[in-house]
Amino acid sequence: MKSIVAAPAAASPAGIAQRPHPGLGQRSLSLAWMMWPAVSFVGAMIVFPLAYAVWISLYDASLGAEPRFVGLGNYLGLLRDPEFRNAFKVTWLLYAAALAMQLVLGTWLGVVLNGVRWARNLVCTIAITPFMLPPVVVGMMAMVLLDPSVGIVNWLIGLIGMPPQLWLAHPTWVLASVALVDTWQWAPFVALLVLGGLQSLPVSVFEAAEVDGVIGWRRFVFVTLPLLGPTLLTAAVLRSVDLLRFFDLVFIATRGGPGNASTTMNMYAYQQGFEFSRFGWASASMITLSLVVLCTVVVFARLRRAVSW
Amino acid sequence: MNPVIRTLALACATSGAVLLSAPARAQSFDWKHFDGETLNVLLNNHPWSNAIRDLAPEFSAKTGIKLRIELLNEDPQRARLGTLLQAKSSDIDVFNSLQIREGAVYAKAGWYADLTPFVSNRALTAPDFNLEDFGEGLRKTATFGGKLVALPINVEGPLFYWRSDIFAKCKVEVPAFLEDIPLAAAKLKACDAGQGVWASRGVRNAIPYAMASFVFNSGGDFKSADKKQPGLCQPKTITGLSMYADLLKNYGPVGATNQSFPQVVELLGQGKIAMTHESSNEFSNIMKYPGREGDLQIKVLPKGRDSGISKPVAFGFGLSISEYSKKKEAAWYFVQWATSAEVETKLVAKGVAPPRTSVFAGPAMKNWAGEKPVRQQWADALREISRTGTGDYASPTDRVPETREIIGRAVQEVVLGQKTAKEAACAADIDLAKLQ
Repeated sequence: MKSIVAAPAAASPAGIAQRPHPGLGQRSLSLAWMMWPAVSFVGAMIVFPLAYAVWISLYDASLGAEPRFVGLGNYLGLLRDPEFRNAFKVTWLLYAAALAMQLVLGTWLGVVLNGVRWARNLVCTIAITPFMLPPVVVGMMAMVLLDPSVGIVNWLIGLIGMPPQLWLAHPTWVLASVALVDTWQWAPFVALLVLGGLQSLPVSVFEAAEVDGVIGWRRFVFVTLPLLGPTLLTAAVLRSVDLLRFFDLVFIATRGGPGNASTTMNMYAYQQGFEFSRFGWASASMITLSLVVLCTVVVFARLRRAVSW
Repeated sequence: MNPVIRTLALACATSGAVLLSAPARAQSFDWKHFDGETLNVLLNNHPWSNAIRDLAPEFSAKTGIKLRIELLNEDPQRARLGTLLQAKSSDIDVFNSLQIREGAVYAKAGWYADLTPFVSNRALTAPDFNLEDFGEGLRKTATFGGKLVALPINVEGPLFYWRSDIFAKCKVEVPAFLEDIPLAAAKLKACDAGQGVWASRGVRNAIPYAMASFVFNSGGDFKSADKKQPGLCQPKTITGLSMYADLLKNYGPVGATNQSFPQVVELLGQGKIAMTHESSNEFSNIMKYPGREGDLQIKVLPKGRDSGISKPVAFGFGLSISEYSKKKEAAWYFVQWATSAEVETKLVAKGVAPPRTSVFAGPAMKNWAGEKPVRQQWADALREISRTGTGDYASPTDRVPETREIIGRAVQEVVLGQKTAKEAACAADIDLAKLQ
């Protein structure tokens, strides 16, 4: 088996490209048409809308007015717009808080689940329930639970003598509250990824660590966590894409308020596009958001390659 | 007369009569003309929409036209409408919209079909349909550039609701002037600390609707004296804005800045607050709560003591046909049926205030209102706001939705203690000026 795979490389030590089998190219060409449904789908559903959004972001396009070409005017306008700058800041604050909580809690939960022997499947099934819920349901649940008058959260903290808090209605608390709700929903997802990662780690490494006397907390920090690096980065990438596009929970529970304290970039773009009908401006903010997401994913992908083992 | 001549004369007369009657027959209106068609109707979640959905089978039985009615909350409905009509989609035949808010922009975009040719076409319009039955103000609101773009489906505006039993228990006089409301709120709070006092809309874009009359009755305006600039930073406007924000801040429910009409209705219905300034539309919802028909009273927001002004907000949603609909004539059948006196009379019982003068003054409304004192108060208040109300409570711009966000944010800043009323109002004026 090994010799069969190695044979072509041995035959071309200088790296000279091998001529394909005479019949293979013709067959590839004859089958090329089979790619067209996929290519058409990608073109129609991804490339065209994206290109259209880029194109419209270069225009001052509002409802009821003739579109006017402004070049990068909308993008420069975004940089000067205090509302957009606030949305940018809110997005990153929410992203940082929620991602940190989800990775920490998810890792802890994954390690705990890995140690559970009894009824692990049942526990896992319960754990995945939050992220199977539609965001609208989660938003409504958050509104009910965190309601300052009748919510159970204020009742519970009242039992330990704390005053009621305006969880979703005060600028100081709203981002933390939204991040907590999102963490409740998505930390189990990270936990499942971590659980899968833990179960795929080589047992021999842990046995060697044990022989060397590295146990308990030190084993977790110096052995388990580095080995889990790629898994955690994968989780971070998946959650980053979602968190930077944060919308549904904010839309349902706070509408971006109070004031603009929870207006994320996505919420800002929604308001500009659908409430104020400023399509060019909204497209520019969405393209900016897409670039932010893309850059973040690229950074994590590079990190992922750096820590792979 | 010779029988032959008589027969010929009779034949000629009959033929003439048939020929003469042919154009009349061609122009005769027939409700079954579009039997078998299907219309897509996109409505927002509104008491009128819910009521009309219940009556839809009657329309189908009468015309043979099937209706696919989609009901969405106000913002999602606007978003869906925008997406479809911007793409010139024919998927929507009929929709409702708020002309004072988005009418100018929708009309500029060419989304509304002109209803004028339908109204004047006797073959397409029922003989008893009377456009003049809608008040002149309502028709004017629904007309852009000489085109009638919608037919009014209701009349609404915020009204002052108060619990007479709580006022009586605390021996507090019912506010006769606007300035009496904070005083009454203070007395009610002192009387029973466990009883909620006030609630009103605190969500950004919902605030101006409930706050506008506080501004007007204080002698203020959202426009400058020459009506060319934003006018939030004027002293009397600040007084009204401040009063509304202070009521929410000092006597409102916790978390008021996240609350809009559903929460206000809930609080009032459950008896948790003593007074509010909320939409007339919510009357039927509030009355569903036990006890409220007996202890709730309604009137127009009291006039300002110093200004002597009573200027309530009043307007109505309108039903329109999409310019891109491929079934405009069938759609017109639905629009004229839904706004007919017959249907409006039926909607009265569901608490929808009729925009037709004949129905408002008619026996059905009188009988229904006469059954309960609170209904009579509601009808009287609506009659008053229809006469004296305004739908113009934005700074001078077509970008009305954005003005509501900015004005609402200024009020929120005062409620949250981030700025004084003057600071918030004057800062908002700068942002409002950018929309012009």
